[in-house]
Order: sequence, then structure tokens, then C-alpha cells
Amino acid sequence: MAEGTGEVVAVPASGAANGLNNGIGGTSTPSNNPLSRKLHKILETRLDNDKEMLEALKALSTFFVENSLRTRRNLRGDIERRSLAINEEFVGIFKEVKEELKSISEDVQAMSNCCQDMTNRLQAAKEQTQDLIVKTTKLQSESQRVEIRAQVADAFLSKFQPIPNYIHNQYMSFLKPKNAVFISEDFFKALGRVKQIHNDVKVLLRTNQQTAGLEIMEQMALLQETAYERLYRWAQSECRTLTQESCDISPVLTQAMVALQDRPVLYKYTLDEFGTARRSTVVRGFIDALTRGGPGGTPRPIEMHSHDPLRYVGDMLAWLHQATASEKEHLEALLKHVTAQGVEESIQEVVGHITEGVCRPLKVRIEQVIVAEPGAVLLYKISNLLKFYHHTVSGIVGNSATTLLTTVEEMHLLSKKIFFSGLSLHTSKLMDKVELPPPDLGPSSALNQTLMLLREVLASHDSSVVPLDARQADFVQVLSCVLDPLLQMCTVSASNLGTADMATFMVNSLYMMKTTLALFEFTDKRLEMLQFQIEAHLDTLINEQASYVLTRIGLSYIYNTVQQHKPEQGALANMPNLDSVTLKATMVQFDRYLSAPDNMLMPQLNFLLSATVKEQIVRQSTELVCRAYGEVYAAVMNPINEYKDPENILHRSPHQVQTLLS
Amino acid sequence: MATAPYNYSYIFKYIIIGDMGVGKSCLLHQFTEKKFMADCPHTIGVEFGTRIIEVSGQKIKLQIWDTAGQERFRAVTRSYYRGAAGALMVYDITRRSTYNHLSSWLTDARNLTNPNTVIILIGNKADLEAQRDVTYEEAKQFAEENGGFMLKVNIKMGENVEDAFLEAAKKIYQNIQDGSLDLNAAESGVQHKPSAPQGGRLTSEPQPQREGCGC
Repeated sequence: MAEGTGEVVAVPASGAANGLNNGIGGTSTPSNNPLSRKLHKILETRLDNDKEMLEALKALSTFFVENSLRTRRNLRGDIERRSLAINEEFVGIFKEVKEELKSISEDVQAMSNCCQDMTNRLQAAKEQTQDLIVKTTKLQSESQRVEIRAQVADAFLSKFQPIPNYIHNQYMSFLKPKNAVFISEDFFKALGRVKQIHNDVKVLLRTNQQTAGLEIMEQMALLQETAYERLYRWAQSECRTLTQESCDISPVLTQAMVALQDRPVLYKYTLDEFGTARRSTVVRGFIDALTRGGPGGTPRPIEMHSHDPLRYVGDMLAWLHQATASEKEHLEALLKHVTAQGVEESIQEVVGHITEGVCRPLKVRIEQVIVAEPGAVLLYKISNLLKFYHHTVSGIVGNSATTLLTTVEEMHLLSKKIFFSGLSLHTSKLMDKVELPPPDLGPSSALNQTLMLLREVLASHDSSVVPLDARQADFVQVLSCVLDPLLQMCTVSASNLGTADMATFMVNSLYMMKTTLALFEFTDKRLEMLQFQIEAHLDTLINEQASYVLTRIGLSYIYNTVQQHKPEQGALANMPNLDSVTLKATMVQFDRYLSAPDNMLMPQLNFLLSATVKEQIVRQSTELVCRAYGEVYAAVMNPINEYKDPENILHRSPHQVQTLLS
Repeated sequence: MATAPYNYSYIFKYIIIGDMGVGKSCLLHQFTEKKFMADCPHTIGVEFGTRIIEVSGQKIKLQIWDTAGQERFRAVTRSYYRGAAGALMVYDITRRSTYNHLSSWLTDARNLTNPNTVIILIGNKADLEAQRDVTYEEAKQFAEENGGFMLKVNIKMGENVEDAFLEAAKKIYQNIQDGSLDLNAAESGVQHKPSAPQGGRLTSEPQPQREGCGC
């Protein structure tokens, strides 16, 4: 052992070996000397680091207790003996171990056999269950498929069956006998659901599920029909009860109308039912208002005022106007959620139906009033009132031809007709007995009366409520109905008079008409025409007045002769009655006229009602006189006419005359 | 439910009267549409509006007839006084003439409506305070001298309009509540419709147009 260690250490540490060699021999090389090598080896050995050595020594120290020669000799044997004993012990122990291992091995073998056996059995079992597993797998996938189907079916049912409970009750009640109908919120939910299903089913029909689709559809259609019929009956009976004055439309009824709009026929019938109920209510209300008045007699019954036709008719129409407005409100409340087209039209139609009932009593009464001929003015006012209400009520019921409007219009036309026939009668009476003009040539009493009537009529029209254009049309008719016969009457009655009298009378009559008309609107044309006629008669009067003056002062003959004189007849001075003596005498008369022209007025002119007209006649006739004098003067001054000393005969120039007369 | 506004217990008929140009149509429009309408055209004959209000928990439908103020419509408008439960008599505080005519309007209202009609005096256009021509005290005195009907003289557009209509309705409702009994007594011997709920004259006012005339 020591040698092995020594060899390992031999190669390094040459330095130290060198040093040692130098100390001992000096000339020999360290590697060549085995002793030195051994020595080195021993020296190099570090005992404290060599555990094996330490162990060996320690073991040695246990039995080598006596360091003697004998023991040193026997050491090897001792050691070998000990080694043998130890090995024997070893063998004994390993034998046991081997036995143990052998039994373990047997156990393991047994286990292995057991496992093998199990494996075999499992294998067999596996082979046996294979079939089962395949079957199970199949079943599983089947069950999955079935589950999906169930879900689909559920979805289908929830979509196409009126399932929820609250609905179910209603759903059942659809099919119950017809008694005890009670319509509630749930009814509409159920109905909505059924309707929805009916709509959804259409999708089904597009797929392969046509049979189911058709069946469901049929079922739903049946339910719907039953429900609608039920709803209709309910709504109908509900409407029948709406005969109170104040008609409170229940929300359910409003909803019923919304639902019923899908069945136009039922919807219409329900509305008709409503209309009929309200119609009789309105009629009853109207008759009560007419005959009973309010509770306790206030306000008093309308018929209490039948002696005052205008108020009577006005009150009736006002009542109807208010009733119509209320009925329209009721209908609007009833149909406010209805979305179908033409709601406005059907409201108007039903209002028309409702108000139809009052038409007869209204017509009878108004006719009585009109036929009693309360006088032209009143008739005219009534006619205008009717027109006003026609306008007002049509604002509510629209322009549809409702009976109420037609009746009012009819009454309006009737009153107008009677009015005009009254007027015509009045004027034709004028023509029947034309009076002679009064001595003062003023307007006749018949004219005055008629004009008074006309004034009243026009005044009442003025305060009426009829729109402007309609009023204008009426005016034209009234005016032509009254004025034309009047003019005719005046002309006829003046026909037997002399020219001046006739003209004066006509001017006076026309003037009266003109001043009457001037107060009113839309009379411009008539006024113009009257003015034109007045002017025509004025011309006559002016000429009359001029010739009157000329005749009175003797200038007339002279003037005519001067005008007709032709040069070949010779000088004027030689004509009969145109000699200077006659002329001088005429000039004396003329001077008298010049000094006081007012004395030479025709007596008729003083009868003229209008001072302006009279003034105009005087002025223009004076101008004519001046012109005549001017012509005579020019003729006399003309030397051809051989007057001697003409300035002496006519000592005033036309200019002077004009100045004097103006 | 959405239809609730149509469930009313009463209908009150109102009439608005007063000179032309005092703002009657504006009042109506303000009340029914809640909007101020500048430049109201002259009313032709009568116009009509409704609104549902609530008094003491009762829904009441007001049916308001707005009459034309122009003299030429008087004959027509007089027919609308029948069975009015409330009359709003309007004048313009900036125009004394409209105030001066009140007595003739009042006469009409008294003659043509029933004794229980609630008459309310309304001084309109209080927003034009600077041009005020009729004092509050005057109007108050007028109201007292003429039987103490209700007075409401400070209407500015949009402010007190509501009050005027509501107070009239309250008064009418109150009359129905406490007046029906002795009204019955006063009216004994007068025909009543058996179905009329409370029989009294006042009860009829709410539905004057039909019940009033039509019991």
C-alpha cells in the first residue's frame, strides 16, 4: 500500500529532490537510485491524509496489543485467520440473504402469474363488452339528437302556441259559449299573441313543415275569428249603453276599436252601433232642449223663443253646433289609437250619421219659421245665419255631404228663395199700380218704402257673419231684384209728364236711390250706373232751362233765325222780326234777365232735392244762354247783316254778359 | 293606461265673453295649447277648445266656447250662453272702454245663463302694467257691487291663466258638492230626468249641452 502511494508522488517535487541530492551525494541523479526513490516516497507520504492507512492501523491496534517478536512473526497468520473468520461470517450472512431473495422471487413469480391471469380475464371481458360499448355509443348519440329535437320542438311550441297561463284562460274563454263576455287586458294580450302566431306561421309554410303550418294557421284563424266575434259582440253591447249625455269612452273600448280595425266589417258595424246610440241620444237631447230646457227650466226651453225667429233658429243651430263638436270629440276619443287609414273620414261619416237624426225636427221647425214669412229683413237675416252655421258646422264635420249640412243648406236656400220671392212680390206690386208722381216731383211713397226696405236688408247683411265673397254675390242679386223694378217703376210713372217734370222727377228718384246705396259696400257699379242716368236727365234739364230763359226774353226766335240764316237769304236786318227795333226791345227784356237771373228759373228746378244738382243746372244753362247771346251778337256786329249802328242795338259785349251772369 | 285622460267624471262648459280685442282667444289658446299666440285673428262667431283638469282628485273635462267680441256677432254668440257652468268675462286693463262695457256683458251673462253659473272677471294684459288704465281696486269694487262674483284681475299671459280656469272649476265643483241638496228643495216641482245622477241644477251644468237641455 505504501509503495502505491509513493509512486504516485514520485514524479513532481524535483526541486526538493535536487536539494536533497545535493546534500547527500552531489553527483548522482535522483531517479536512478531506487533507495532514494523509496525514501522519497516514504517521506512524501502523509499519514494523516491516508484514511485507509489509518483504518488499517486502527484495526491492527485492536488485536496487536503486544509488540513482541512472536507476535510480530505471527502477525501475518493472525491477520489471515481473522480474514478467514470474517469471510466465513460473510458467507453465512449472504446465505440468509440469498434465502430471503429466493422467497421474494417466488412471491414475485406468483404475482406475475396472478397478473397474467387477470390480464387474460380482462381481455376476455373486454372482448365480451365490445358489443355493448358500440351499442351504448350509438344510443348516446341518438339521445343527443333527440334532445336537440326536443329543444326545437319547445321553441316551436313557444312560438306557435298561446301558452302562458293568463293567456290560457282567455284562450279557453274564446271557445266558451257566448254568455258572460268579459273583456279585459288579458283578452287583448291573448288576441295579440294569436295574431302574432298567425303571422309567424307563414314562415313555416315556406319550409317543409307545411302540414304543421297549415294546421296551426287554421287553429289560429279559428281562434281569431272566435275572439273577434266575441270582441265585436262585447263592443256592440258596450256601445249600446253609451246613451248618456256625457259619453265616457272606456279605455277597453278604445282598445277594442284598435283590435277591431283588423276586421273592417266588424269595425264598421261597431262604429255604426256607436253612431246609432249617439244619434238617438242627440235627438233626445235636442228635443229636450227645445221643449224642456235645462233642469229646473234654466236655461229656458228653446221653443220659448219661437216668437223671435232669429233667436229661435240661432239657438237651435248653436245647440247643434255644440252637440256636433262634442260628438266629434267622443269619436276622437274612441278612435284615438286606431292606426288604420281614413280615421278622419270615418269620424266625419259617423258624426254625419249621429247628427242625421236631428235633421228632421230641425227642418220642420225652421221651415215653419220661414214659411210663416216673418218679413223680408228677418228672412234675410235667417238666411245669413243659416249660411254662417253651414260654414261653422262644416268646419267640424268636414265638407262631406252629411245630412245635417245638407239640411242647413236646404233651409238656407229655402229662406233665400222665400226672401227673394218676397222681394219680387213687393216690387211687382209696385209695377201693378204705378202712381203718378207727387206734385212736388219728389220720390213717390212707394219708392221711399222700397228704399227703406232695401236699406234694412243691406244693413242686416252688413252685420251678418257671412264671408265677403258670398256677401258680394248676394248683394248683386238683392240689388238687381230691387233696383231694376224700381227704376222701371219710376220711368213708367214719369212717362206721362212733360220733359222738365219728367227729368226733375227722375233726377230726384235716382238721387234718392244713389244716396241710399252709397252707404253700403259692393255698390260701386250700381252707383256709377245711377250717376250716369242722373247725368242724362241733367242734360235734359239744362237744355230745358236754357231754352226756357231764351223763350222768356224773346231771344229764342232771334237765335234760331241767326243759326239757320244762310248768306244767300240776304242781310239779317232785312229778315222779318230781326230789325233793329225788335232787337232793341228784346235787349230790354234781356237786361231785365241780367239784373235778376234767379227769377227766370223753371219752377221744376225748385223741386230738386239736391242743391248741388240744381246749382249745376243753373250754371250750365247760363253758359248755354251766354253762348246763344254770343252768336247773336256776332251776327249783328257782322257788317254783312247791314245793321246800322250795331253797338247801339246790342250795347253789351258777350264778355260783359258772362261776367254779369257768373 | 294611456287612455286615462278620457276617464273624466264631469264636463264643465265654459264660455268666454268680453269686448273685441281683449284677448279672449289668446286666453283659450294659452290654456288649451299652453302657448302664447301673438296676433290672434278675430274670432268668427265662436270657437271651441277642450282640456282635462283635475279638481279634488276628480278629472273634469272643460269644454270652452270662445265667442267673438265684435258687436255684429252678438246675435250668434248669445245662443252659446245656454247651460254654461262658467263664464269668463274678460276686459283689457289697458283699455277703459272694455271695462266700461262689462256691465252689458254681465247683463247678458245673467240673463242667458242660469243663476248658478260661476262668473269670473278677468283683467287681461297685466304684463302691460305701464299702460294700465283700470286699477285693481276699481275692478274689485265693480265685482263687489255686482254680486261679488269671482275676481281675477292680474292675468299675464301664461302666468295666471291656468288659475282662472282652475278656480272657476273648483267653485263649480264645490257648488255641486254642497249645493245639490238645497237646490233640489228650491226646485221642487221641476221636471227632472230620473237618471240624472244628483238631480240638482248644478249637476246638470257639467253636461249642460246635453243634459242641460236634454234630460
